[in-house]
Amino acid sequence: MDHSHHMEMSYTDPNSTMPPSHHHPTTSASHSHGGGDSNMMMMMMPMTFYFGFENVQLLFSGLVINTAGEMAGAFVAVFLLAMFYEGLKIARESLLRKSQVSIRYNSMPVPGPNGTILMETHKTVGQQMLSFPHLLQTVLHIIQVVISYFLMLIFMTYNGYLCIAVAAGAGTGYFLFSWKKAVVVDITEHCH
Amino acid sequence: MAMHFIFSDTAVLLFDFWSVHSPAGMALSVLVVLLLAVLYEGIKVGKAKLLHQVLVNLPTSISQQAIAETDGESAGSDSSPVSRTHHRWYLYHFGQSLIHVIQVVIGYFIMLAVMSYNTWIFLGVVLGSAVGYYLAYPLLSMA
Repeated sequence: MDHSHHMEMSYTDPNSTMPPSHHHPTTSASHSHGGGDSNMMMMMMPMTFYFGFENVQLLFSGLVINTAGEMAGAFVAVFLLAMFYEGLKIARESLLRKSQVSIRYNSMPVPGPNGTILMETHKTVGQQMLSFPHLLQTVLHIIQVVISYFLMLIFMTYNGYLCIAVAAGAGTGYFLFSWKKAVVVDITEHCH
Repeated sequence: MAMHFIFSDTAVLLFDFWSVHSPAGMALSVLVVLLLAVLYEGIKVGKAKLLHQVLVNLPTSISQQAIAETDGESAGSDSSPVSRTHHRWYLYHFGQSLIHVIQVVIGYFIMLAVMSYNTWIFLGVVLGSAVGYYLAYPLLSMA
């Protein structure tokens, strides 16, 4: 019943796709004025999940999906992006572990239970600020933040196929990359 | 779509059938979103605990296999127990991946619910995250 109006969105006014929240009657009027031409930027955004591949805007103004083939291509691309995101997370963690250069031990006396003085030792690991590993970590961090926002925006299209692609890509990426991480953590953190 | 927070009793959240148009419905929706946020925090802690349990239960066999690989010896003597525990490890890891998918999906659902810009829903998410963190994180440090 409500999925049909997403097909109508490409042909007629976007007023019908407005969810039944009538707290802004004036905006609905202004949208009806703007909905005359079908190629305007400010399309009404869907606010519920739907399955479809007609006129799906994807992140950038040039990327519009109109056919099933294009949707399949977009599915694969989003899947690979989500997988890459998970892999980037794991790669950053392993890079960080490998590049720990300075280990500082701070010992401070603390009062013990029976009035004795115990030495508490704090160990901090860190990187040099202007070293190449830290700059590389920063660049990878920016890439990770941008990709995470892209994935959020893709999920925000409310398109069922693309959301499934994000979830499946995240799961597959976690499965493939975090397996290696878990084994590495096991080897390096249990001394035998 | 209104791009600022509003107090309202009407909203459509995530799915076509989840349309709220009364104070009672809004209260119920806030409760559902609150429980979803509690579940999200709980899943985060649950995943960490599961990984810790798996590493504690299966370290020796994987370490043996890694030592055998690094020493260049063929793991002929312990092929069957290693393959059995390898199988268990794959099951554990597959389960972890499923939990990860559920965590990602619930996180995005909570994000989309907040995107409705309904203040009650937003407060429900915040309160649910607080309650979930409060209840779940002490369990993380318990062995």
